[in-house]
Amino acid sequence: MNPLLTLLQINDSVFPIGSFTHSYGLETYIHKRIVHDVESTRSYAETMLKHNVYYNDAAFFLRAWEICSGKFSMRKLIELDTLVSSLKSPYEIREASRKLAIRFLKVVESFKSIRRGKAYLEAIQTGEAGGHYAIAFAMYAQYQQISFEDALSAFYYNTLNGIVTNCAKLVPISQTEGQKILFSMQDLIKDLVSTQKDMEESMLGNCCIAQDLRCMQHEKLYTRIYIS
Amino acid sequence: MESTIKINAEREGNYSVLKESFHNAPYKLTHYGSPRAQKHLEMIIMSASPGIMDGDILTIDVNVKEDVHFKLFTQSFNKLHPMKNGAYQNTHMKLSPRSMLHYVPHPVTPFKDAIFYANSRIDMATDATLIWGDIIAAGRIYMDEAFQFEKLHSRTEIFREGKLILTDNQCLMPKVQPIQKLLFFESYTHQATFMYSGPWAKAMKAEFDEILSGEYEDIAFGFTYAAENTLLLRALGNDGELLYNFLSMLGQMCWEFTLHEQAKLKELLAHTSEVDKAERQVLADSPTEAPVKVKKGRIKKQPAA
Repeated sequence: MNPLLTLLQINDSVFPIGSFTHSYGLETYIHKRIVHDVESTRSYAETMLKHNVYYNDAAFFLRAWEICSGKFSMRKLIELDTLVSSLKSPYEIREASRKLAIRFLKVVESFKSIRRGKAYLEAIQTGEAGGHYAIAFAMYAQYQQISFEDALSAFYYNTLNGIVTNCAKLVPISQTEGQKILFSMQDLIKDLVSTQKDMEESMLGNCCIAQDLRCMQHEKLYTRIYIS
Repeated sequence: MESTIKINAEREGNYSVLKESFHNAPYKLTHYGSPRAQKHLEMIIMSASPGIMDGDILTIDVNVKEDVHFKLFTQSFNKLHPMKNGAYQNTHMKLSPRSMLHYVPHPVTPFKDAIFYANSRIDMATDATLIWGDIIAAGRIYMDEAFQFEKLHSRTEIFREGKLILTDNQCLMPKVQPIQKLLFFESYTHQATFMYSGPWAKAMKAEFDEILSGEYEDIAFGFTYAAENTLLLRALGNDGELLYNFLSMLGQMCWEFTLHEQAKLKELLAHTSEVDKAERQVLADSPTEAPVKVKKGRIKKQPAA
């Protein structure tokens, strides 16, 4: 298999796992006019990557990658999964991570079954594990011999792409402005990926309170286009 | 300075009482009012110190035994003074079956240059109930010291029957985070976290859905079903006292709801055991045939037909 093509495929925003149905709280920000133009979109996207994704999903991605690259241990993976579930307190965010993980694992399982992917899917289905997209994605990318830097960069890129696409639809901002934001954050993503391994252990899962709060408020929004 | 507060609460008849406790300077632990004024136990942690100083290490150890109902209060805002190395607070709470703990301390106010690490671990039995609050202020706002502290790291972990169900990890570093902007405090100066974990969290969530359906001008809040049997609320505001009252009000609501549900469950169990007893009685009274006596002995093999 060609690692680059595999990465392009599994990281595609139209990869059928339903990632376009989630806004991860962004819908609340837009509804409350906190994110309302190009500048606030840029500020939201940058803060999300630097202060939320870096300490959360990207850090979980790294932990999962490390478990999969060494001597693989299902027990360690379940332990990580339990920790991640305990950290993702907003219900919709936890559910989004779980649903995406299940669909992702099912789709890649249909290509060619891999033992650890199947075991993780079974653990989620039996309730032994909560299921998290970052873990499933890292596990599969590592197995497909995609380089860590490429896989994590793509993971950040996809998160950013989701934010920009949602803002283009909801704020709205123009497609061109959206693409300019995506392009301008390449250096930031590069920095985050290169320092990911230096992140202090105690910062794992660091919570941004207003982000949590806005995700919780999403459960009560009067009109909702997104599931989270 | 190293200090310890140890509390052991037990049930004695209808009352929850303090059995063993230990505290040293500058802390003092006393009954909040008359010890037997109510069936549950109420204690207050007082301090002779003006606040937490550099190098202070406080260990709080609370053991809430079976069927105990316990409310633990604090005296005033927890003031964190300027520091070079930092201060630590390590809290461990153990909640035994059917116990309930209510702990909503006053807000933490970090002064300029304060460094503080708060680690809390709560070990709960399946049917124990936890009511927990945590409020952090930006600093002495009126002294023009908002977000002038160095670092405030608060980590709370809840384990139920040994399994980690909730982790709240919050590290605030105003110098490296856009702390007053979106994702963090937005434009607010205080943040609050409230937890209600126990067998009736789902039912309480339904109550919250009804009671907290409106929006308030002074505070922004959201709540969620954060983990199995755990309700979590987060709030932002500009007034520590207001948030403290808000959380205390929610805490009291959860407290009364739990008492009510526990009483209902107890009644149901008593009723079930009465029905069982009555059924057994009916069975015992009903005329039955004399039991067949079976003689012990070797069974002779029947000759094959």
